[in-house]
Amino acid sequence: MGLFDKLAGWLGLKKKEVNVLCLGLDNSGKTTIINQLKPSNAQTQDIVPTIGFNIEKFKTSSLSFTVFDMSGQGRYRNLWEHYYKEGQAIIFVIDSADKLRMVVAKEELDTLLNHPDVKHRRIPILFFANKMDVREALSSVKVSQLLCLENIKDKPWHICASDALRGEGLQEGVDWLQDQIRTLRT
Amino acid sequence: MSSSADVSGEASKWLDAHYDPVANLYTFTSCVDLADLGGDGENKLVIGDLGDGSCGMKLKVYRGTALVSESTLLDLPTGLVSFLMDLHEPRIPAVAVASGPFIYVYKNLRPYFKFTLPGLEVNALEQDVWRQAREGQIDPLALKELLEGVRDTADVPLSARSLRYLALEREDMQEFVSLHKAQPVRRQTVITCIGTLRKSTADEDGVSCLVIGAESSDVYILDPEAFTILSKLSLPSAPTMMDVTGQFDVEFRITVACRNGNIYILRRESTKPKYCIELSSHPVGLVRVGKNVVVGCAEEQLQGFTQKGKKLWTASLPAPITTMAAMDLPTRGFQAVLVGLANCEVHLYREKNLVSVIKTPDVVTGLRFGRYGREDGALVMTTKGGGLAVKILKRTATFDERDGAPGPPPAQSVRLNVPKKTKLYVDQTLREREHAAAMHRAFQMDLSRVRLAAAKAYVKALEAGLTPVSARPSVPLKMNAVVQGLGPAFKLTLNVQNTAACRPILNLTVSFLYDVGLYSMRTPYFRIPLLVPGPVYPFETLVECTSDKGISDVIKVFVLHDGKTAPLLTAHINMPVSEGLALT
Ligand SMILES: Nc1nc2c(ncn2[C@@H]2O[C@H](COP(=O)(O)OP(=O)(O)OP(=O)(O)O)[C@@H](O)[C@H]2O)c(=O)[nH]1
Ligand SMILES: [Mg+2]
Repeated sequence: MGLFDKLAGWLGLKKKEVNVLCLGLDNSGKTTIINQLKPSNAQTQDIVPTIGFNIEKFKTSSLSFTVFDMSGQGRYRNLWEHYYKEGQAIIFVIDSADKLRMVVAKEELDTLLNHPDVKHRRIPILFFANKMDVREALSSVKVSQLLCLENIKDKPWHICASDALRGEGLQEGVDWLQDQIRTLRT
Repeated sequence: MSSSADVSGEASKWLDAHYDPVANLYTFTSCVDLADLGGDGENKLVIGDLGDGSCGMKLKVYRGTALVSESTLLDLPTGLVSFLMDLHEPRIPAVAVASGPFIYVYKNLRPYFKFTLPGLEVNALEQDVWRQAREGQIDPLALKELLEGVRDTADVPLSARSLRYLALEREDMQEFVSLHKAQPVRRQTVITCIGTLRKSTADEDGVSCLVIGAESSDVYILDPEAFTILSKLSLPSAPTMMDVTGQFDVEFRITVACRNGNIYILRRESTKPKYCIELSSHPVGLVRVGKNVVVGCAEEQLQGFTQKGKKLWTASLPAPITTMAAMDLPTRGFQAVLVGLANCEVHLYREKNLVSVIKTPDVVTGLRFGRYGREDGALVMTTKGGGLAVKILKRTATFDERDGAPGPPPAQSVRLNVPKKTKLYVDQTLREREHAAAMHRAFQMDLSRVRLAAAKAYVKALEAGLTPVSARPSVPLKMNAVVQGLGPAFKLTLNVQNTAACRPILNLTVSFLYDVGLYSMRTPYFRIPLLVPGPVYPFETLVECTSDKGISDVIKVFVLHDGKTAPLLTAHINMPVSEGLALT
């Protein structure tokens, strides 16, 4: 770290870096959510299914986030676990209109929570019950029931209903995540 | 999101995505398909619902867990397939529903085209009889008689109209004749099964022809866009189930299970079957796995055949088959056969090995494995009671070839490394075979000799008192001797036991006989005190080997009874070679 960076850090000009993993099934809206969180001049217009993963950056009032936007397609899901070690927080996105695959989302979440790199860490998890704008979408309460989130006892978690197309609900979630990371650090 | 009963182990393979026991869905595998009807990458479930068999027939479409569209069908569906009929963008598949002699084609879930199977040849005599009726030359009774005559003699069967007429009561005849006489006589067949065949490319999104099996024992291949008959193939019997593979313009193969209990294989080059598989019982399910055909038989069996009809294997099932479907998961290179059974189970067979058993809350009548919604490994099941269940294969699921498969343990099929028969072995075997009687005789002779020799030696030993067991019943004694030590000093222990029931033995003496040049004994002679019956008495004595030549000898032990010259017992002790040197 250069002298300037150090100085900036002391003065509170330089923000703390946090690595966040963005996980969830394919088509749940991970890329759309992250795109919304980026500054408007960095946003892309057309979002295509992610291949492998992408690294994106965005900032909040006090933190600088580096997000690993993983692909949710079945054949890429085995990549997720290679990044668990680096992740200091997890964003788990659920398509709340996809009732059929809620069991698959639960299965992947359970696999994630039982992974040795995650299991014993107090790593904050933010859930987005996305696509709340879709008519047949389930409520965030229903989603948390189906995923049995109440069983997560040793990690701080939070669920928000969101509409990534219009950016609704995203700020609430990110504010929670920022608070969690700050309390963990101090 | 209710969970059905699962056998342990299955929970690690299948996720319960959906179960609605009252979906009011009555259908069979042939009327269930999965297709991307919206063109949005999300597959829908298309079902031809048979209703209660006489009304309520519907074409239903499910998206995820919800029914999204329903349209009435005019007749009972016998088969339903989705197929791409043209190259227009977006590439949305059409749905073909077969019922009676018709195929109703739906595009975007709206009726688009109706195809009718060509009529069959009508009996000329029958036609003539109806002409006479039309012209008023014969009355209804005469018409009936004439038609009966035609029915019994002609080789072309009567039309449905004439058959119905023959079944009428006398008072209804006049009305029937006046109602129908103006129309020409037609003979119509019905569709029994339907499939699809790619036209010219093997691509997933290639345009496909419809392949139809008809009750008239014919198979028709239709052009995808114009619905003209491209090819007509004939079978010896009415087809009931069909599997189609290949491309119409290149090479194709249609495997058909027929009502006569045989399976025929049709190829592009001929309109007649190329191969025939004769089964021992009627086929109730037909699935192709790669190049092989798996047939479910009425006698609760699953049989595998090559594409040329050679039988590969047979597997027994615990219950009658209700339906069968293929499970093909190309992303994982997994192919297997799903078999719905009457005992509320769905078995998954890979070749002849049972790799998974799914317990279902009801008997499964419709099965389809494929991409549903955005999930590639979805298993859709409809049940007898009108239920709908969807299971999803876990990403991490693995199928163990052996698990649950009944039959011999794997070790049994491991080949042993048996060496080849040598010439010596063969010669010996031949010799034994030729001279068996002589060899047996020689053996018996030698055996008798051995017995005689043994008996002689025994008698002699008894007479001389040479045995370590006393032969005299009045003084039953047993003795053994133990030598301890490496030399030159040895310890000799005699264990003497009185084996009488209650009488003690008195007046016994032990004497040793040995080569005095070799050994010296401290007590070569001693008396034995009274021996109580039962316990073993150890008597110890020390022997010293006085020679340093490294040789050994036998020491004889006699147990003597006062007043008798012959010893009671004799024992020979083979002394070990002294390993140490005597201290001189
Ligand atoms: N209606 C609605 N659609 C959304 C919402 N969020 C995302 N989508 C749509 O869902 C589709 C998938 O979004 P992506 O962001 O590519 O999903 P992803 O999770 O990144 O998918 P993978 O990269 O394949 O893992 C896109 O067509 C989005 O427009 C939402 O809140 N509401
Ligand atoms: Mg993405």
